[in-house]
Amino acid sequence: MRRALTATVAAAALAVPAGNAAATALAQSKPKAKPKRRVVTVTKRVAGSEVYAGRWGPLRVTLVVKRITTIVGAHRTVKRTIVGLDVPVYPDHTDRSVFINQQALPLLEQEALQAHYSPNVDLISGATDTSMAFVESLQSALLKARSI
Amino acid sequence: MSTLPGLRRVEHVMGMPVVADLRDEDLGEDVLEEVFDWLRWVDATFSTYREDSEISRLNRGELGLAGARPEVREVLARCEELREETDGFFDARAASPDLLDPSGFVKGWAVDRAAAILEAAGARNYALSAGGDMRLRGRAAPAWCWRVGIQHPLLRDAVAKVIETRDLAVATSGAYARGPHVIDPHSRRPPSGILSVTVTGPDLGAADAYATAAFAMGGGRAPHWTARLRGYEALLVLADGRVLSTPGFPASSSAASPNVRPGTGVP
Repeated sequence: MRRALTATVAAAALAVPAGNAAATALAQSKPKAKPKRRVVTVTKRVAGSEVYAGRWGPLRVTLVVKRITTIVGAHRTVKRTIVGLDVPVYPDHTDRSVFINQQALPLLEQEALQAHYSPNVDLISGATDTSMAFVESLQSALLKARSI
Repeated sequence: MSTLPGLRRVEHVMGMPVVADLRDEDLGEDVLEEVFDWLRWVDATFSTYREDSEISRLNRGELGLAGARPEVREVLARCEELREETDGFFDARAASPDLLDPSGFVKGWAVDRAAAILEAAGARNYALSAGGDMRLRGRAAPAWCWRVGIQHPLLRDAVAKVIETRDLAVATSGAYARGPHVIDPHSRRPPSGILSVTVTGPDLGAADAYATAAFAMGGGRAPHWTARLRGYEALLVLADGRVLSTPGFPASSSAASPNVRPGTGVP
């Protein structure tokens, strides 16, 4: 949204040089004294207690938690996100499905959702899109990109 | 400019774009004809959008199962097995108990068969993708494996993950592309708490059915169910921004790309 606005202002300035004065006036009318903003990020590893999982041996779950504190004036916002999950003490058993059936604990790896733009890939896996234009164009672009 | 070896073709079949990307040297165009002829035959036989398909005729009661082609009987038998394996979450009768719609399995099964056509013709390095579900084989080039991006469920122009692989089927189910089209056959409502499920394994028909089933289960049940899959691995993107994957889910050796913008899309 912010990017689109900037682009519009820039285009107007290019098309009408006299518009520069208006753009400057617009910039000056912005409030000058912004309240001070401070962001404190702390990442901590939190270990759970060691639990003896029957004949599968001991198990301990560790979480990596990121805490972001944003302070603007007297206002303070705290946001916590689980950025990692680990099982450093792993049950000594190869049949994870048996273990999960018994313990109802999915030993899944966890991470936060990320966005990769212009990735170097051959194909994209996604849900079927009936409009198709996007997928079709992307797939053919990817095919082309690899022949350059 | 260097050109890749092999043959490439994108065609709209079975209601979706199908990409055939062959990277072997000296393969004739004939093999592509054979692959797309097969897919057109599948469409004519299985499409629920065609009045004269065998599935439409079965649904209207004009054709009995005994009179159907062996491929139709095979597909319906596999759908029934998958329904049992997925506790009823993959169901060819999910839309209505009176209407058969095996298309959720047919797409992957058709691509598996198309891969067999390529193998028989001597192809060893190829990708076959039908509407975002695919089979990969060999290498994209002598120096690199196939690299597959997993569509970011919230951002159209981004991928959530990149995997590298040599011989694998990859299927993704999600609600983002055309609104909620997967429903939980038990509650008859769209699933909640989950944005997309990707399943990888040896067989695309099964991977696709598992992805659809896990997605229909929703964010509460899907992690437990996918953790128990045998021979298949899963990656789930939950509505709260967490990405869960089974320990054997394929990774990318060069995961750190300069274009990574972490955290985008996390509420």
